[in-house]
Amino acid sequence: MRKRAKRTRQIKALLLFGVILVLVLMLIVATVGRQEFNAPHKLALEVIGKAQSGVTVVTDFFTSFWDDYIALLDVRKENLRLRQEVKKFRATNNEYREAVATNVRLSKLLGLKETLPPPTLTTRIVGKDPSLWFRTVIIDRGSSDGVKQGMPVVTVEGIVGQIMSSSPHYAKVLLASDPNSAIDVLIQNTRVQGIIKGDGTDFQLNYVLKNCAVTEGDAIVTSGLGGVFPKGLPVGNVTRVTKSRRGMFQEISIQPAVDFTQIEHLIIIMKENSLAE
Amino acid sequence: MLIFSFILLGTTLLTIQTTIFPMLPAWMGNPDLLFLLVVYIAIRLDIFPGAVLALLIGLLMDIFAGVFLGLYPVIYLLLFFLLQGLSRHLVIDETVHQAPLAVASYLLASSGIYIFATILAPDASLTWSWRDILLSALILAVIAIPFYQLCSGIHNLALKGIKNRAFLRSKSGNRFLA
Repeated sequence: MRKRAKRTRQIKALLLFGVILVLVLMLIVATVGRQEFNAPHKLALEVIGKAQSGVTVVTDFFTSFWDDYIALLDVRKENLRLRQEVKKFRATNNEYREAVATNVRLSKLLGLKETLPPPTLTTRIVGKDPSLWFRTVIIDRGSSDGVKQGMPVVTVEGIVGQIMSSSPHYAKVLLASDPNSAIDVLIQNTRVQGIIKGDGTDFQLNYVLKNCAVTEGDAIVTSGLGGVFPKGLPVGNVTRVTKSRRGMFQEISIQPAVDFTQIEHLIIIMKENSLAE
Repeated sequence: MLIFSFILLGTTLLTIQTTIFPMLPAWMGNPDLLFLLVVYIAIRLDIFPGAVLALLIGLLMDIFAGVFLGLYPVIYLLLFFLLQGLSRHLVIDETVHQAPLAVASYLLASSGIYIFATILAPDASLTWSWRDILLSALILAVIAIPFYQLCSGIHNLALKGIKNRAFLRSKSGNRFLA
C-alpha cells in the first residue's frame, strides 16, 4: 500500500515536472517569435563552428590528396582543354566589356539611375544539416564580416539560398532546396513569373497558370522581385510539366542549376536593406 | 561532471554528423547519433539530469539543424519523458531491446517533427519518404548496441570521476573504517 502510494507520488512528480518543462519551453519558443539566434545560440554556434572548421580542414586535406594523386591521369588533357576555353572566354569577355561600357554611356545619356552591383564575399561550407527534413548549411562568415539575415547566397552555377541567422564568425544558410524556401523566378523565354519552392532535392515551380506556355528544358532565372536575389541569376531548367484536370496552375518540376550535394564554396551578395529585416 | 561529459560527447557527435557523415555515400545515410544519445539518456539517467541533458542537446541540434527554433528541444523532451515513464514499468533498457527501441523511438520522433513542422508552416510541407526514414531507422538499429556500450563506458567513467572526488574529500574521525 505504501509502495503504491509512493509510486503514485513519483509518477505525479514526474508528470508535473515534465509538463512544466515542456510548457516553459513552448513559452520560450512562442515569445522568441522572430526565430532568431539569441546570445546562447550564437555562443554555441561559435564554439561548435570552430570544431566544424577544424574537421573540414582535415577532411579537405585528405580529399585534395586523393584528387591530386589519383586523378593525375586526366590532368594533362583537362589542362589543354581549359587553356582553349580560357582563350575563348577572354575574347568573349572583351566583347562584353565593350557592351557594358556602351550601356553605361547610353544609360547616362537617358538619365537612367545606375546601380552598382553590391559587393560580394566568398565563404566556405563548414557543416551541413544532419536532419532528414531540412536543408541548411553552416558557413565560415558571420556578422563581423558584414553578413546579415536575408542576404542571398549563390555560386557561379546559380542560386544557393539565403542567410538565416548569424553569429560573429559563422552563419546558417537556408538552401533553396529546403521546403521552407520560396524564391521569385521567371521563365527566361516567355518571362512568365512564378515562385519556386524546394522539395528536399529539386524545385517545384508554383503559381504558373495553365494557359502559360512552359516546355521541358526552359531555363528559369530569378525575377528580382522581393528584393532578395538580383535579377537574372540561373535557377534551373524545367524537367517535367503536368497539367492536371483540377486547379488553375501547372505542376512544374525544376532541376536546380546548382548541385546541392557538391557545393563547397559560396558567394554572399552583400545587399544592404534586405527585405528580411 | 556527468552532464558535462555527455554535453561534450553530444558536441563531438554533432560535429561528426555535420562534417564527416555528409561525405558518406547516400546508401549509408546520415546516422543520427545525437538521437541515440537522447534515447540512452532517457533509459539510463535519472529524471533531472536527463531532462536537462535532453533539453541542452535539443538546443544544440536546433542551431545546426532545421529552421524552427525550439522544435528539437520539444521533441527530445517529449521523447525523454515518454521513455522515462516506460522504463519504470517495462524492462526496455536490456540489450535485446535496444535496437527495436531505437527504431520505434526514431519513427516516433520523425512523426513528431513532421507533425510539428506541418503545423508551424503549412505552406512548406515536408516530404515524408518511407525509404529514407526506414533506411535511417535500420542504420540506427545496427549501430544502437555498440553505441550504447560506448555511452555506458563514458557514463561509468564520469561516475567514477565523481566517486574519486568524493573519496579525496577529507573525512573526520577514523578514515580507515569502511
